Amino acid sequence: MGKKKSSKPPATKPTAKRAAKPAAKEAATEKRTRPQGGQASKRERTMERVGIVGYYQVKPSMDLQMDRYEAAFTAVRGALDGAKLKRKDLTSVVSATNDFYDGRTISNCFTVEASGSYLKDETKVEMDGAYAVLYGMMRVLSGNHKLVAVWGGSMASCFPYEVTSLLSTDPTFERSTELLNVMTAGGFQMRSYMNRFGVSAEEIAKVAVKNHQNASRNELALAESQDESITLDKVLGSDPLSSPVTDLMYARPCDGMACILLAPEQQALKITDHPIWIAGVGYSQENYYLGERDLSKSRSMEDAAKMAFKAAGITDPKKEIDVAEIFEHFAHEELILSNAIGLSEPSSPSSIPINPSGGAISGNALFATGLVRLIECAKQINNEAKGHQIDGVHTAIASGQVGFCAQNNILFVLEGGEKQ
Amino acid sequence: MTGRQVAIAGAGFCEHASKRSDVNMAEMVHEAVENCLKNANCDISSIDAFVNGNMPGFEGVNLPELWMTDWMGARNKPLLRVTTGGTTGGSIGIAGYYNVTAGIPGIDTVLVVGFEHQSCGDTSVGLASVAYAETSIWTKLGLSMDKMTRIFGAGAAIGISSYQAINYMKRSGATEEDLARVVVQNRHNAAKNWYTHLKMPNLTIEEILETPFISYPFRYGMVTPASDGACAVIFTTEEKAKDFTDIPVYVNGVASVSNESAILGYSGSGACQLDPCEQIGAVESAKLAYSQAGISFPEKEIDYAEVYSPLPTQELQWLERLGLFEENTAHLRYRDGTTAPNGELPVNCSGGVNSTNSIGASGLERIAEAALQIMGKAGNQVPRTVHTAIGHSWGGVINLVTLMVMSDQQKRKWKGVA
Repeated sequence: MGKKKSSKPPATKPTAKRAAKPAAKEAATEKRTRPQGGQASKRERTMERVGIVGYYQVKPSMDLQMDRYEAAFTAVRGALDGAKLKRKDLTSVVSATNDFYDGRTISNCFTVEASGSYLKDETKVEMDGAYAVLYGMMRVLSGNHKLVAVWGGSMASCFPYEVTSLLSTDPTFERSTELLNVMTAGGFQMRSYMNRFGVSAEEIAKVAVKNHQNASRNELALAESQDESITLDKVLGSDPLSSPVTDLMYARPCDGMACILLAPEQQALKITDHPIWIAGVGYSQENYYLGERDLSKSRSMEDAAKMAFKAAGITDPKKEIDVAEIFEHFAHEELILSNAIGLSEPSSPSSIPINPSGGAISGNALFATGLVRLIECAKQINNEAKGHQIDGVHTAIASGQVGFCAQNNILFVLEGGEKQ
Repeated sequence: MTGRQVAIAGAGFCEHASKRSDVNMAEMVHEAVENCLKNANCDISSIDAFVNGNMPGFEGVNLPELWMTDWMGARNKPLLRVTTGGTTGGSIGIAGYYNVTAGIPGIDTVLVVGFEHQSCGDTSVGLASVAYAETSIWTKLGLSMDKMTRIFGAGAAIGISSYQAINYMKRSGATEEDLARVVVQNRHNAAKNWYTHLKMPNLTIEEILETPFISYPFRYGMVTPASDGACAVIFTTEEKAKDFTDIPVYVNGVASVSNESAILGYSGSGACQLDPCEQIGAVESAKLAYSQAGISFPEKEIDYAEVYSPLPTQELQWLERLGLFEENTAHLRYRDGTTAPNGELPVNCSGGVNSTNSIGASGLERIAEAALQIMGKAGNQVPRTVHTAIGHSWGGVINLVTLMVMSDQQKRKWKGVA
């Protein structure tokens, strides 16, 4: 394998070094009254860790000047180059694309060459990229694979997203009326949240303002989403999509691809000195019909968070998590999902930074968005986030979702490693 | 880091037919799920997680797993959707295996569901768009309409498979009678299996050779039907499998090695740059899966094979590429009866894809049928005991392959034997 030789095997890591790091960390984040650092090693995990050893994100664009093969190639190659690995080191490739979004049947059959999957154990997850990471993780945990590339994305400039969202509806009762689509579902969800908890549209617009401002500090954000001087009035006064949702509250689909490399614990430590650990994962799907669901809450995210925190041994998410990257299709989903995770309540906003990258509003290349959330968390932990870096991040969470009003949610817990 | 031993605890099907107009997609899936739970003597509360897959373009419903949540019983449970075209069934089976073996807390028993309701949509349109999506690029390059129409033919399975078949027949010396013989065996087997589509207990080679050509060497009587149907399989841990069944079927090897898509031909003409019956992907998949399962002599150690063969030459070709017969000899084994249910290596006793083809379920049905043969519960059970079996599928532009090796013995015991 083309790896950097680690100075020592992990078993013989000096404990003194391990202890030194949290102390330095506490100094850096003195203001935040959160006991952290050493906590990660004290947590009682119920799942083996998987290492993220490389990642790459193709800068999202409303009209990417690449075809999807080139974009897939750029993403996978970028991740391999970043980790100083070669294609021959890969044992498996998992992609996340969708036949409808790509406008073709079997969307993975022509990407074999471009994504480096030639004569590799290859498969495709037809869900958000975060679920492909889940499957990649399972492949690593099985012991069958030593290095798994997970890539995903789509080209919204090539397909009418709102039409394909209509094709995801119940074909018997809903498609024929053409009333339900991603916009109207978002409208129902926002109205439901506002009415249930007495939240004003301004409160939700504030989230959009924050994400647009955060995007302006993120060099890999969609250019159209970057707006330092955005105001509440501008968000509320932008074109209405489906009342009360306005244009600037919507994470508009764009073009983009991303890739993450996963490796088992021992292998990850050989490849890089600073792997990011996936310590926990949870995912769940709730029922489909909007009328049967409480749209002001997210049952599936509640279940996913419970499962992920149990796996990672997190008992108090508000204290133990340093940053959250949440896939919000609309600004209000950030609130609903962070409530479900237990980071905030409708009456009290989260004290933990959410979506410092700008979230999905900073670039929603469908099927890459969840992958990008994981990449952003990895960057925060590795201190690579530049303009939008949060100080002293050790534990981060990233989410992905599929379906109307986030019907299926997935949540990852990521931790920094003890540096050698 | 090693994964947990995985076992198949049960499998179920719904009735397959050309048009299941009595049910919609979700209801059809429900039938298979119910049957599977009955087969494993359990109810839906035993299931911890779900894997779902089909060929979305064929029915025109994007992400149908969202809509059919309640029909699968997946409400408030983890669900993963995997789709890879023709290999979808095989891929979701493999995903079911990985779900269990990974040991993610809370996930022990996984229900895998594959289905296709082809009568809802137009399969030919779906297949044409395998190649169609490239046309925007090709028109930019100035490709003529004449060539374009040929691309649609190449994109559909029958186009590319004809090239493959001619190559194979040239190599092996198999004749048209040999192809018809494969079909006859499959349709006779299908007649003894309750859920299959084309049941033809009295079909003869002569009858097939009288039907008109679709695309040389394939005649109308030789090709796979388009079926509506669904299949469900339960994967669980070694420990829990004993609660479901007396004979758990252990999954000892999985692989899905992809070959390059250039098999289709870069010019889009369908004329291949590579020999399309060479199938390095299948050869490599076999190597990988057999090594995981500790199988050194597949031709001796494997007792039963379910291969994915919508067209008869493919059945011959896959048996060779997967190491069960020597190269260019498969058609001779059909002549001497080796592959019949009472033969030395029974193949596709379920009737195979040649008799029943609901795309997204077909690959999973191969796994399910192989597992049921080991359990002794198959619809067309072979007379002697099956210890080790394989379930295979192919798809994409004949560049994707999946393979699963199953046995009545656990993997670690296997390693000692090998």
